[in-house]
Amino acid sequence: MEATITKENNATIFSLNGRLDSNSAPQLEKQLQDFLTTPCSHLVFDFNNLDYISSAGLRVVLNTAKAYKSGQYLFLTCAMQEHVQEVFEISGFDTFITIHRSIDESLSALLNKD
Amino acid sequence: MKVSFRINNDLSELDTLFEQLQTLEHRWSLSRRTLAELNLVLDELITNTIKHGKCHQEYPIDITLTKTGMKLTIEIVDSGLPFDPTLCKLPDPSLPLEQRKCGGLGIFLVRQFSDCWNYTRSNNLNILTLQKTLPKEHR
Repeated sequence: MEATITKENNATIFSLNGRLDSNSAPQLEKQLQDFLTTPCSHLVFDFNNLDYISSAGLRVVLNTAKAYKSGQYLFLTCAMQEHVQEVFEISGFDTFITIHRSIDESLSALLNKD
Repeated sequence: MKVSFRINNDLSELDTLFEQLQTLEHRWSLSRRTLAELNLVLDELITNTIKHGKCHQEYPIDITLTKTGMKLTIEIVDSGLPFDPTLCKLPDPSLPLEQRKCGGLGIFLVRQFSDCWNYTRSNNLNILTLQKTLPKEHR
């Protein structure tokens, strides 16, 4: 699964497409590498086109959240499909990851921050 | 109603798993949600089997799904090294971010989306059996 990376305002948006499982997660990790070592903008994961996530995908999200936790930039997620959001909630990830309904909502929230 | 298929101990086979399960969506009138849950349960177990199998050789993983009324029984059989996923320590989903670790999440999700499971080792085979009750919408 290769994410499409775009920049908008003060944020980098990773649009995730298809399925994120133990086979495809390493590819996303590779794309994220620089962003996690040296965060240089807010980061948004757009889940609109993600049809499936397993624990391997959750692990990538967890590591991203940890990397952004104490820095000046925020990490947000948005537009999760119902069963993807269910997996997040059941795993307790919704307690420390911000989940917006849409990319617009995420970008608005970030504009208000800066 | 019974369906059996075989995959190799390679993570790329997760795509094959998905394709096989998709055929059941129509045949067994499974909802999208149930299909996603089934996919997740099998994905997590097979990923663990492959990662803990530690064999530097190819071996098959046999999967059988049996539907009896509202009950689904899943059996996963492989000839990898002995590995009992029922013994894995589960993570605490209420812990805050700083304390969350990456391990055990897959097994945790399996437990959430299935009713019960059982592991045995016999004839050098790992045999894992799972039960899942289908929701009312399948009546």
